[in-house]
This record gives sequence, structure tokens and C-alpha cells, in this order.
Amino acid sequence: MTLAVRRLAALLLLLAGLWSGPGVAHESQPGLLEVRQLTTERWEIAWRAPIYYGQPHPARLALPPDWQPLGEPRVRRLASAELYRQILRVPPGSVDGSVIGFPGLEQTITDVFVRLHRLDGSEMSQVVRPTEPQVVLRGERPWTVSAREYLALGFHHILLGIDHLLFVLGLLVIVRGPRMLIETITAFTLAHSLTLGLATLGHASLPAPPLNAAIALSILFLGPEMVRVWRGETSFTIRHPWVVAFCFGLLHGFGFASGLSTVAMPRAEIPLALAMFNVGVELGQLAFVALILLAHRALRTLEFRWPRCAELGPAYAVGTLGAYWTLQRTAMLF
Amino acid sequence: MSFSQSFRPRHRISAPILTIALWPLAAWAHVSAGEAGGLLSGLSHPVSGLDHVVAMIAVGLWGAQLGMPALWILPVAFPMMMAFGGLLGLLGTPLPGVEVGIAASAVVLGALVLGRVRLPLAAAVALVGVFAVFHGHAHGTELQAGQNAILYSLGFVIATGLLHGVGIAVGLIQRWSLGRQALRGAGALVMAAGVYFLWGAVA
Amino acid sequence: MRRPGHWSWVAAGWLLPAGAAQAHLVSSGLGPFYDGALHLLLSPGALLGLLALALLAGLRGPRAGRLAVIALPTAWLLGGLVGLGLAPVPDLTWLGVAAFLVLGLLLAADAKLPPIAIAALACAYGGLHGLLDGMALTAIGAGTSPLLGIVLAVLVIALLGAAAVVPLRVLWARIAVRVAGSWVAAVGLLMLGWLARGTG
Repeated sequence: MTLAVRRLAALLLLLAGLWSGPGVAHESQPGLLEVRQLTTERWEIAWRAPIYYGQPHPARLALPPDWQPLGEPRVRRLASAELYRQILRVPPGSVDGSVIGFPGLEQTITDVFVRLHRLDGSEMSQVVRPTEPQVVLRGERPWTVSAREYLALGFHHILLGIDHLLFVLGLLVIVRGPRMLIETITAFTLAHSLTLGLATLGHASLPAPPLNAAIALSILFLGPEMVRVWRGETSFTIRHPWVVAFCFGLLHGFGFASGLSTVAMPRAEIPLALAMFNVGVELGQLAFVALILLAHRALRTLEFRWPRCAELGPAYAVGTLGAYWTLQRTAMLF
Repeated sequence: MSFSQSFRPRHRISAPILTIALWPLAAWAHVSAGEAGGLLSGLSHPVSGLDHVVAMIAVGLWGAQLGMPALWILPVAFPMMMAFGGLLGLLGTPLPGVEVGIAASAVVLGALVLGRVRLPLAAAVALVGVFAVFHGHAHGTELQAGQNAILYSLGFVIATGLLHGVGIAVGLIQRWSLGRQALRGAGALVMAAGVYFLWGAVA
Repeated sequence: MRRPGHWSWVAAGWLLPAGAAQAHLVSSGLGPFYDGALHLLLSPGALLGLLALALLAGLRGPRAGRLAVIALPTAWLLGGLVGLGLAPVPDLTWLGVAAFLVLGLLLAADAKLPPIAIAALACAYGGLHGLLDGMALTAIGAGTSPLLGIVLAVLVIALLGAAAVVPLRVLWARIAVRVAGSWVAAVGLLMLGWLARGTG
């Protein structure tokens, strides 16, 4: 059966284990910068810097030199972020084309959403990535630019979501035949798109800590099923993996929603952002599946042979990591 | 049917090769437009000079006429011989009459295609090799400041190889008798172009 | 390399020993592991030889392919771990160029090497680049995470490259692979010229 996939999975998991620091189990939260015009010359900035691996975020805010602070900034420390608020005097007409930098962001994996609101009701929304840690404030941008940004955001979000990828890997080991593969991946996609949409549009929400624990549990759940596949046994999951993929996919969708913050996003932009973010996630997931299938085929072509017991490795690895995360994230609930 | 059986490898150029080939190219283009310029200018250089284009295609046409094994030995040998010429150029080794040599290559190759001349394999490779050295010496060394040498070289080599490919693909028409005549006509065109270049080089 | 800046790191390919100007890896925005993987993909100097070696191994059949797929990342990792503890050495760019030039020539010639020789080549090439990578990573203050990213990317490329060639039976397809080798060798020759000129 899917021996090669399992062997490959073992290798990947080994690497994943090496690569994942303690922090990987957490979603990396995006940052948020709101720039709001209060009067002609007075602006307020609100900078939400997420806690980064237990530390204050290394990125700082570099405002244009001609923006004069009025009074002291207000700082509030929350469990997941630090909030800075500051009123500024900005020379009229100097906002357009101004550059706000985020020195320090380039060493992190944090994306920052930037939102600009003017008195005349016009709004701007942009995503800043660590690869280019600055934003140029402009009035209007073509929608294609925003679409590309949200697409990339979704793509990167899934690449960093090792727990989601691990779940998909577990499904790949369990499914047999292309038909079952397509059914299962489609079910997972539909389910997480559904809850991603509901959560983003504000119709449903789950608090992050129990959600993350539940996602970990879904990975733990696959471990024993993978062992059953190895033993040649069967179960409901092995016969109908799409059902499991759909049910747990609903959970994972809430997880994806944490990567797309719609706070203060212009209303008109939310559908576009949601759609493109979702497409990005699916592309990343498909790329991962394609890579695994290609590597699996390559291992067969090169006639790799392993001891039979080595094929159990991935099942134990998935189970162990799932269990570890479940315990860790459950402990964080209390 | 098991999962693995359904993904059994097929005996043909497979997706991985394409994936591997396109992935870095896409990445290079993605990360820096400035340096990817090295790749692009390398790619575009061989096709920007008509004398070079004509000679490269003629190599492919002649290879197609000669058939196996020249058909494949030429495309394998040519890039290396051409790079050798480029190496000489970069080392500053003077090569007398480069421009004349390039123009002459089009004349000679055109004549060979026109006459469907079959040379012994070693002679054919040696002849094409000499021309390749000339072409490399003249063209492989024009790197703009700030561009990346390795990407430029890669682009240059790829574009040249693709021109051969065009020649070989066009040369396949010789399966039909009408095609054979058309091919000789193409040889005449190459030769005429070569005479024109030669005129420019000498005058 | 005439222009400083973040791309210059990539520009010299993987061959570049850490110069003083190179402050960091090209950021993927996804953390050091992906930075490492991206780095390999952006290093044509390392990729060309890697690809030539994988294709050469593939032409020699599944056993040679297996050995190369195992030896390359292993040697790369070990070389990298050793290199992490070493001070950067002076310019070794020519060594990297010579390495992929030789591999390109072997591939173009369809050299009938026994699998064990392929494995030895893989160890030498992987070890060399691992060492260079390790020293470069130390010089820019990066740790082992990018090295793991590099090694995983090496594994994937070697695996897919070798496996793509093994099943090829049709003559023209195998010749296409050899043509790729001649391209690699040609780039190597030209690069030697650039290095002699001081532009590489």
C-alpha cells in the first residue's frame, strides 16, 4: 500500500521535529497598524504588536520624521499582544506617499495588516510582509494588488501551519486510490473553507486556546488510524476518511481564520480578502499534497526498501506530536 | 486498486523534471527583478544578433539532415565548445577574425544544408566546434555591470540550446520529399544571410 | 559581484564564502527553515551541480539514484555541521564552479560510472557545499535551522531529479538529459572565465 508515503512521512516528521522549536505549535499571530484621521491635522495610530514566542515583538514602528507626537503614547499589555496608541500632528497633505517602516520585522515571520481611515471616509488596507517591512500610504490601489497580497498571505499561512500539514499528511497515509484521495482532500477543503468564511465574516468564532487544543487532538486521532492501516485492519475512518477530513476540517478552518484579521478592514474589501486568502491556503495545501505524491512516486521509482517496522514510524510520530501538542495546549487552557 | 499502484511511474519525461526546472527560475524572477535581469539578458542576447541566430538554427538543420548520431552529438558538444570560446574571450586570448569567422559559419553551414553534404562524424563535430568557439568568443562575454555572471551564462547557454532545438524541429520536415526541398531552400537562405554578414564584416 | 545589497548574497550563488558585506539570508518571511530552503533555490551555483549529479545518478539506474539521494543530503548536513564550527576561509568560488563543471561534463558524456562512484561524487559534492554553507551561515550569525532547510531542499531535488530520469528509456529523452549536462558544463566554463576576470 502506501509504504513509500509512510517512509517519506517518517523522514519529514523527523525533520519537522528538528525544525519545530517550541513555538511552532502556536499560530503566529499577525500584527495590526491602524492609522485614523481625527481632525485635519490630528491622526491617531494604533499599533498592535503580537507577542512573539513569549517575548515582546522585535519589530518597531518607524514613523515619518515630520509626524509629531502629541503627548505620551498609551501602552497596554494583553495576553497575546501589546497595544500602543499615539496621537500625532501630521502636516496636511503629507500623508499620501508617506512611508511607515517596521524595523526588526524582517527577522520574524509576522505579517502586519495596515489600515488607513480618513475623515472623508476613504480607506486603505494593505498587508506588510517581513520580506519588505514597510508600507507606502496611498489613497487607492488596484484591486489586483490587494488580491495578490491576500493570496500570498494564505499561501504563507498554510506553509507555516505545520499542524495543518501534519493532518493532511496523516490523511494521505490513510487514503487508498486517487478517488478516495480526491474525495478526502475535497471534503477537508470544503469544511475548512466553510468555517474560515463564517469566522472571517463574524458569524461564528471559537476562542483560540481550546481551538488549538482541538486541532492538536485531530492530529492525535490520526495516529492510531495510521497504525491500523499498517496492521491491515480497517475502521470507519479508514473506510470513509472523507468524513473525518470534513469534521476536523471544520476545526482547522477556524484555525486558518486566525491568519486573516479583518479588524478595521474596509467592508468592501472583506469578500475579496477572504476569497483570495482561501485560494492561497488551498494552493499551499495542493502544493504540499503534490510534493508528497511526487516524492512518493520518486521513492518507488528508485526502489527504496525499508524494514517493515520502519513504516510504523510516521504513525508514531504523528501520534506523539499530536499527543504532545494536545497536552501542551490543554495545559495552556488552565 | 491501491494508492501506490495508481501512481506508478510512466516512462516519459515526468512532472518532476518540469517542477525542478521551473521552480528556481520562478524563484529567481520572483525575488529580484534586478539580478534576474542577468538571466533575461543572457536569454535575450543570443536571439538579438541575427548572425548568431541564423548560425545556431543552421546547426540544428544540418544535424537533422545528418540524422543519428550527429543529431544529438552536435547539441551536446556545441554548448561546451561555445563556452570554451567564451572562456578564451574572457581570458583575453585574442581570436583573429572573429566577425569574419561568424559570418563565414553561416555561409558554410548554409552551403552544407543546401547541398545536403554528409561529412564523417568527427569532421562534422570539428567543423561545428570551430564555429562554436567563434560564436562563444564574440557573444558569451557581454555582461552588463551589476548583473549576475552565472545567471547570464545560464541564460545564454539555454537560449543557444533552444535555437538548436528550433533548427532540429524545423529539420524534421525532411521526412517528406517536399520538406527535404524546403530544407535545402532554408540552407540557401542561411547562406545568403551569411554572405550578407560576411560583406558587413569584411567591408 | 559589483553591487552590494541583499541580493548580492544570492548573486554569487552558494559558492560565496561569507564576505563581510553579507549580513543575512534572503528572507522568505517564513522563518529560518524556509529561508534556508529558499536560499538553495536561489543559488544557481549549488543547484547546477546538484541537478547534474541527480540526473547523472538517474541515468545509471535505481541503485545509483538511491545512493545519491541518500549520500547527497547526508554529506551536505555533516559538512554543514562541521562548517558551522569553522571560520570562513578565503574565496573558494572557483572550487564550486570546478565541481559543477566536472559533474556537467560527466553527465554530458553519459559516463558509465558504477553506483559506488556516484555515491562518492555525491559525498564529495554534498560535503563541499555543506562546508561552504556551514561557514557562510556561521559568518552571518545564522544557526542550524537554515541548514536543515537547505538539506531538506537538497533531498527533495535529488530525489525528484534522479527519479525523473531513471524510467527514461527512449533515446531522445536520455539525450535531452545529456544536453542538460552539456549546458551545465558550458556555464561552468564561462564561469571560470568570469572568475579569471574577477567578475564572478
